Amino acid sequence: MLEIRNLRVKLAEEEKLILSGISLQVSKGQVHAIMGPNGSGKSTLAYVLAGREGYEVVDGEVLWNGENLLAMEPDERAAKGVFLAFQYPMEIAGVATMTFLRTALNAVRRRQGQTELTTPQFMKRVREEALSLSIADEILKRPLNVGFSGGEKKRMEILQMAVLAPTLCVLDETDSGLDIDAVRIVAAGVNKLRCKDRAMLVITHYQRLLNYIVPDKVHVMADGTIRKTGGKELALELEKSGYAEFKSKALESA
Amino acid sequence: MTVASTRTKVEQALSRSFEAVAARLPGGHAATEARRAAIGTFAALGLPHRRIEEWKWTDLRSALKEALPPAVGGAVTISVSEIDAALEELAGIDAHRIVFVDGRHVPELATPGKIPGLKITPLAEVLLRSDGCAIDRLAGQSIAGHEAVVALNTAFMSDGAVIRLAKGVRLDRPLLLVFARKAEEGRLVTVRNIIALDEGAQATVVEAHLALPGAAAGQANTLSDVALGNGARLAHVKCTLAGDNASHLATWLATLGQASTYHAFQLTARSGLVRNNVFATFTGAGAKLDLAGAFLGRDVEHIDTTLLIDHAVPGCASRELFKGVLADRAHGIFQGKVIVRPNAQKSDGKQMAQALMLSADAEFDCKPELEIHADDVACGHGSTAAEIDEDLLFYMRARGIPLAEARALLIESFIGEAIDKVEDERLRAALSKMTKRRLAGLTAARP
Repeated sequence: MLEIRNLRVKLAEEEKLILSGISLQVSKGQVHAIMGPNGSGKSTLAYVLAGREGYEVVDGEVLWNGENLLAMEPDERAAKGVFLAFQYPMEIAGVATMTFLRTALNAVRRRQGQTELTTPQFMKRVREEALSLSIADEILKRPLNVGFSGGEKKRMEILQMAVLAPTLCVLDETDSGLDIDAVRIVAAGVNKLRCKDRAMLVITHYQRLLNYIVPDKVHVMADGTIRKTGGKELALELEKSGYAEFKSKALESA
Repeated sequence: MTVASTRTKVEQALSRSFEAVAARLPGGHAATEARRAAIGTFAALGLPHRRIEEWKWTDLRSALKEALPPAVGGAVTISVSEIDAALEELAGIDAHRIVFVDGRHVPELATPGKIPGLKITPLAEVLLRSDGCAIDRLAGQSIAGHEAVVALNTAFMSDGAVIRLAKGVRLDRPLLLVFARKAEEGRLVTVRNIIALDEGAQATVVEAHLALPGAAAGQANTLSDVALGNGARLAHVKCTLAGDNASHLATWLATLGQASTYHAFQLTARSGLVRNNVFATFTGAGAKLDLAGAFLGRDVEHIDTTLLIDHAVPGCASRELFKGVLADRAHGIFQGKVIVRPNAQKSDGKQMAQALMLSADAEFDCKPELEIHADDVACGHGSTAAEIDEDLLFYMRARGIPLAEARALLIESFIGEAIDKVEDERLRAALSKMTKRRLAGLTAARP
């Protein structure tokens, strides 16, 4: 289970809180959506969970399966099953996608005390997952994300997720910049990974993605806190009313 | 004019060294004449210093603290296994081997049998016979008139490989020229190679400049004179692992005939002070030059790559890609000058030099220079010096790759882009492994 307790975070060099007291629990087997207007702190939450530098946790804690996530290095977190699908996946010139995937998988397996996969085992696994995400073999030989289209990059994130088989998946705006066909492919890839041992946090600005990845709970974030929590129907309400209700409070406090 | 009086101790010592060994340097009358003329040129020029633009970051006058005695004569005993160990992965390449130790050819370690159309002669022999062609080339190098390092090479050259490949002959295996340093006392080793490919000939030549274990830090002056006939194709690789505190001054002089292809690559690591000076001149239309290099600097190592690409004729293409990784207080230098002569229309030149800085104390100086006198040309250049991208590191770590491994992978991929320019797969793999081993030394945690 993921437990976020009163998490208060600011940028290391600034005073203003970006997350001003987030509390949230996601049990294994559940998919929670986090929605909210731009600048509400959604991406910061994703980065803090993954361990990006530059943020200072002022207060609160994050436990993953009872362990203090915030005390771990990013790669340790990955070995504990944490995965962040980036909103803007990085291009790594000179590192073939296959090589990258294999390096990552073997690093995680070593940390988890598992043996490394043989080349045929690894290739089989990647090819199967790539096929279901409509990723061509040829792309796997190219440097990671270099020259990939927006849709290819996002599918590549889901491929990495499928290959690494994490138990806590954080998807940061995975639908941004995708056309509807790409959203469907990505969502199908995510849905395939839904299982009783896996918790997911799906961060999105738009309700659209949630038509395809149907969440167990929806949280609305604004001004660094969770302002409202509901079932999947909350997403539909937001689609109608927009974020005005939450934005106005932000304006008042400003 | 009292030239000598303004010379530094090292410059004077070099001139005295020459007088001391001149009688023992190989060569007949013509060679001796060429040597005398060259040492005279050197006496007039002196060592290059920072006020000479091309040498502003590599001031030999202050960097060379002493003139080591030239290595001449004397027998060398060396085993194949010693050479193999020093060659690392290159030893595994199936190649015709020609070995020079402390500037002397070691015939018993040479492996080429009789190959039709290929003639390899040690330079010392050529000089003794006063072979007209070779001597003409020595005298005919116009560059020697104003490059003190080239003049010193002519004066002191003790040996080297004179390679001639006949028209249309294609070598199926690379020629591996090994220049190993073994002397336990510091020596000045001066070698010169002449590589001539006749029309349509094709070859791969690898120069490996190495220090054997226990060798003293020495000084090397090496020159390769390359002439490509029409339609000839040469892959030329230079691997310089000269050793700690060693100085290594290298010059490549290349002329590219019509529609010829010159594919050159230089790897430099673990060497105290290196200057790789490449002069390439297009002499026939439609020729292609692809010049790449990877350099790794640590401690206070100094690695200078200086190129002069001369588009003297129309319709030629030149590509340069040099990438360096600099740690500690290492100093990398790249100067790339491309000249496009007035008649050289349709010239196509692209140049890129990039350094990855692993330390705030490392330095990279880069000076691309385009001198274009024609109007219908496509020329460009770029350079970067950057640290490892923190966002990339985070991305990789978020995938479970530990910090050290992520850094190593990023550095390898950075330098790998240059090594990828080597077309021969086995050579590329060997150079890649040798580089990787040295990168590990560069990135190891140090204060």
